[in-house]
Amino acid sequence: MASADKILKALSDSLGKRIIQTRTLQPGKSYIQVQTGAHKDAVRIVLQEDNEAGVSAITGVDLGETIELMYHIRTCDTIITIGAEVPKKDAKIESITDIFPGANFHEREVSDLFGVTFEGHPNPKRLILPEDWPENVFPLRKEVSVANIPSKIGNFGVSKDEKHVSSEERLVNIVLGPQHPALIEPEKFSLRVDGEIVREVEPRIGYVHRGIEKAAESRTYLQDIYLVERICGICNACHAACFCQTVEAIMGVSVPPRARYLRTIILELNRIHSHMLLLGHAGLEIGYETLFHYMWRDRELIMDIMEALTGNRVIASFITIGGVRRDLKEEDVPKIKAELTKLKERLSFYKNLFESDSTLKIRTRNVGVLSKQDALKLGVVGPVARGSGVNMDVRRDEPYAAYNEIPFNVITYDEGDSWARLMVRLDEVGESVNIIQYALDHLPTGPYRVRVPRTVPTGEAIGRVEAPRGELFYYVKSNGTAYPERVKVRTPTFANILSFVHIAEGGNVADVPASFVSLDPCFSCTDR
Amino acid sequence: MKWARLKSPWVLHFNSGACNACDIEVVALLTPRYDVERFGILLEPSPRHADILLTTGVVTRQCADRLKRIYEQMPEPKFVIAIGACACSGGVFEGNYNVIGGVDKVIPVDVYIPGCPPKPEAIIDGVVKLLKSIEGGEQSGKR
Repeated sequence: MASADKILKALSDSLGKRIIQTRTLQPGKSYIQVQTGAHKDAVRIVLQEDNEAGVSAITGVDLGETIELMYHIRTCDTIITIGAEVPKKDAKIESITDIFPGANFHEREVSDLFGVTFEGHPNPKRLILPEDWPENVFPLRKEVSVANIPSKIGNFGVSKDEKHVSSEERLVNIVLGPQHPALIEPEKFSLRVDGEIVREVEPRIGYVHRGIEKAAESRTYLQDIYLVERICGICNACHAACFCQTVEAIMGVSVPPRARYLRTIILELNRIHSHMLLLGHAGLEIGYETLFHYMWRDRELIMDIMEALTGNRVIASFITIGGVRRDLKEEDVPKIKAELTKLKERLSFYKNLFESDSTLKIRTRNVGVLSKQDALKLGVVGPVARGSGVNMDVRRDEPYAAYNEIPFNVITYDEGDSWARLMVRLDEVGESVNIIQYALDHLPTGPYRVRVPRTVPTGEAIGRVEAPRGELFYYVKSNGTAYPERVKVRTPTFANILSFVHIAEGGNVADVPASFVSLDPCFSCTDR
Repeated sequence: MKWARLKSPWVLHFNSGACNACDIEVVALLTPRYDVERFGILLEPSPRHADILLTTGVVTRQCADRLKRIYEQMPEPKFVIAIGACACSGGVFEGNYNVIGGVDKVIPVDVYIPGCPPKPEAIIDGVVKLLKSIEGGEQSGKR
């Protein structure tokens, strides 16, 4: 653990003249632009200074003649950004996967969307765009217009990726997905199996890729709130909160206290419904259907509160730039409190069940173990990291909304198995109930939003929110108009998906669904 | 035959590019509060056993072939219900580079259920309307 100042000093001491410029994106968040080639040393120094640091995201920005690559590195209390530029005509940069394996998918994504070649990458295959995507069209480059990309309608056929890949002797290919009962969403995982043991996993994402980052550039900030909410229907309020916070940081708007508390309430409701959904789904995957039905029945209590508060069960459309869109009605408060009390009673039942039930024990304990070292190396976030004993939570590390005023505990388990990851979530539901109760008791009076102008001044900012699945990361760059220049979203599931490869390899085929679901995958988040 | 079909419409759920909001409402249908098993509706893992395809989400370029193939694998007569604004028409994602549009650009659709996401009650209403039209002699999807 090292403070940001110490890391910045270490960077300037070692890199010296290779640093082109240092500036502050927003209070506490530094940007260090280095010469191309020095980026790897810079990343290495930050990782050495803070042994729990990890690369949170890699953002590409089209600057016209060059493409700017930003390596956002998460340290104990902030984000340090290392920037390097590569020429568009010869977009090549050295890969950092050898010093930080968790950067693997981040680099492949930038390579798909911007056409940057990462030299030395172990598996530079297409990750997110379709197989039949035209060559040398990189959708996030500014010169590519959506209208000019050839349409595909009427051109159906079996694409080459789904033909059976010839397998080595003894190894059998099992293809999971895109339509598979264990996955509610479409995504493909090729497992190479030796008897009952999984030897190799090859994920192929991009089935739900809708091109939201590009679409956000052609819509106004206000429209973008509704767009980013639909990146993921489950944690929609987190996306809206993170986007609005980032834009507010560029604008320099401060949100009224009542709005900060109301945001906290909706974010925690989001967390409870997401965690309960997952715990129920985990029950389904391990063949414990009663647990699934029980969990989803109790989850309806939260859906009722969401409907009372926002007018909709799932997509909240509650948070907006400058505050929230609706106030909480005074007469709803006792109802919400009564439902939360009911839920709390049920939680002690579930806690007992998860600790003592033999089915859960056999299917989840010591299954899909992810050690603390591996968790740090792969850059996992959220309950997956906390289940492996990594003590991180954006709500505490870098408080937003009203989290700096509300007491809560960060739950960690050291076992690192599927059971620990589920337990983290179960305990977090209890914490979230406490947070909402505290927020309702201490709800400030006053306005619930401030009016903000439609155009946003030139600038850039980074926003982070602890979504149910972990750290959600937004980078927004503004060019002074009502339309953003670039919106980068790194969802927690994108950071976690690589760990599935790690925990599935060497495990049993029958454990694949159970260990997979314990990571709480959400492909609409992963693909955007 | 028709009687059996009406009393046990087995459904398959496929997400061709949804944000999960409609998907969790589809799953909520199966759970105790809404419990569509009352109508004999059972979620099936394989297209070859399904009578009704519940699709959610916009169709992405990558999913278009798969959606079509799943539809082709279903035995006749087959019916398609498009759940949510995206599946009906493309919704907020209309015009994005990796998006083809609503489900009816790829396969025929019998029932459209708008909403973002539609409430489970609305989905039940759509399913019941489809069952009524099957009872009235509807053979298969409009082509």
